[in-house]
Amino acid sequence: MKTIAKKDVKALLSLWTKEYHVLAPCRTARGDFIFADFSEESFTLDYKKPPLPPKSVFLPHTEVIFTVENGQFKETVTAHNVVLFGIRSCDMMGILQCTSFMTRDRNDIYYSTKNAMARTVVMACPGPQNETCFCTTTFSGPVAHKGFDLLFYDMGESFIIQTGSKRGEDILMSGPLSDIDNAVARRKIEAFTKQAVENIPVVDEITEAMTRLESGNVDEKIWEHFGQKCIVCGGCAFVCPTCTCFNVYDHESSPGHGIRARAWDACLYGGFTREASGHNPRATQASRLQRRHEHKLLYYNDTDVQGGLCGCVGCGRCSDYCPVRIGTLEVAKALVSN
Amino acid sequence: MGDHPSNIYELRPVSIIRTLPQIKDHMLFQLKLEDGTTWDSFGHQPGQFIEVSIFGKGEAPISISSPPTRCDTLEICVRRTGRVTNALFDMGRGSTFHIRGPYGRGFPIENLKRYKLLLIAGGLGLAPLRSLLLYALDRKDDFEDIILMYGTNNPDNVLFKYELLSFFDRDDIKYLYSVDRDEEGIWKQYVGVVTGLFDRTTLSSDDTCAVMCGPPIMYRFVLQKLIHLGFSKEHIYMSLERMMKCGVGKCGHCAIGDRYCCMDGPVFPYTEIENIKEAI
Repeated sequence: MKTIAKKDVKALLSLWTKEYHVLAPCRTARGDFIFADFSEESFTLDYKKPPLPPKSVFLPHTEVIFTVENGQFKETVTAHNVVLFGIRSCDMMGILQCTSFMTRDRNDIYYSTKNAMARTVVMACPGPQNETCFCTTTFSGPVAHKGFDLLFYDMGESFIIQTGSKRGEDILMSGPLSDIDNAVARRKIEAFTKQAVENIPVVDEITEAMTRLESGNVDEKIWEHFGQKCIVCGGCAFVCPTCTCFNVYDHESSPGHGIRARAWDACLYGGFTREASGHNPRATQASRLQRRHEHKLLYYNDTDVQGGLCGCVGCGRCSDYCPVRIGTLEVAKALVSN
Repeated sequence: MGDHPSNIYELRPVSIIRTLPQIKDHMLFQLKLEDGTTWDSFGHQPGQFIEVSIFGKGEAPISISSPPTRCDTLEICVRRTGRVTNALFDMGRGSTFHIRGPYGRGFPIENLKRYKLLLIAGGLGLAPLRSLLLYALDRKDDFEDIILMYGTNNPDNVLFKYELLSFFDRDDIKYLYSVDRDEEGIWKQYVGVVTGLFDRTTLSSDDTCAVMCGPPIMYRFVLQKLIHLGFSKEHIYMSLERMMKCGVGKCGHCAIGDRYCCMDGPVFPYTEIENIKEAI
């Protein structure tokens, strides 16, 4: 296996930028941390849970899918050779689940073309990134078990690098790397993983809530309660690594000319299911919240789960960012509270 | 499409051959493919739908009203109600627009063949059911008796009026029509909700399959009737309506539990959705 000194990671990423569009954790001038184009000045290894999952690399917030000239549609599939450096294991699972959904049955080429041209470098978590992490419950971390091209383990002054694919091996062909004896590396990885798993408590309420939903043993008033509180911002869906719903809209700049684009949508919005007739099968905010949480915990697709527990990857972002505290953790706890 | 896989959102240009006004704000559009190929190549099945795509307005899911046994044209019966359908109504003969499809799971033709067919339609719900009705009439040898129950809110709102009238001369289809209200007293048939028609005929529940499509409120009451009459759940099919934006199971708008109406439906056997609360 290979190792790299922490101080040399910047040089490795610089090397990659010659061939790839490298997205890495960066510190903005205002001190925020985001995933952005790698630059030596802003790159940082001192980061916790990224505020946003990397799904926008494959499913951008807004994406032109056709340009239209004289009423003729011309498809616009854009993709780059991307390296996603330093994503978390839960987000790797998010990518796997999204990719399964977007490519099975009918392949969405806008998504899959971008996905096929991306390399993923996962940063294993030594422990919870904050108090809402529950990846050990959803089998999605703290260490990725599939999908990655490279997997970095933090050993203090250096990283041990596990390769997950031929593409991962290829980007390690050169750079400031050293070899480490495989047996030694495996022992260290094992110890790292054991400790990391111990550090992240399992949230029993999640699995219990799933069982309750499955058996129908749920107090329906819970949805009414959360429905009253929800401010319909849609933020939980937008920060969710596995939410992929989108809307399609046209922008006609002049008659017969313009674009057809798609943009993220959220099942929390009243218009999401409303039909042209005005009929709305999910007419209340309670029913819409119920839908979102049942999609994650009950109505997930077995193929798409990719070895995880369900349609939730345990990143905790919905709990981090919901202004009125209706995250998966809060909902699960409420579902099992009586 | 060149060297990459085909695009599931790819559009096909069509043009309007004829517009046939039905009732107020309802029009039957007859379409042809602009690339010169016939509708045989489209491969549609009764009960499937297309996305009507009008640039600048958007896309709308519209059920196919004509059967694959009549491929000289593709017919869609449209209610003028939103941005896309308003734009469509403003078009005339010869106008072109785009479609995608055919999409979804249609009526289970093979399963229906051994049975008598009971079609229950409410309002515009007749539009998709008509594709099955005409298919069964065209392939009469494959099907047992056909019973059509059709309810509208008043005598002015009967879709496909002349086509339905022509069934009076046929002995291979039994028809029962209802209107909710008949303020002018001109209706010769049953006045009341469509479920009232069940009391006006004898059904043999063990060798009949029921297929329904109509406004959301209709399903619960028709289901009650059917179960009461001894229909087994396996013999009940329904075409559901949802906001099917993409038609290919990706955009998420038409989800019903773990199903997508656009891919797993719009036609569902009752047994598949009876336990999904939000389905009906």
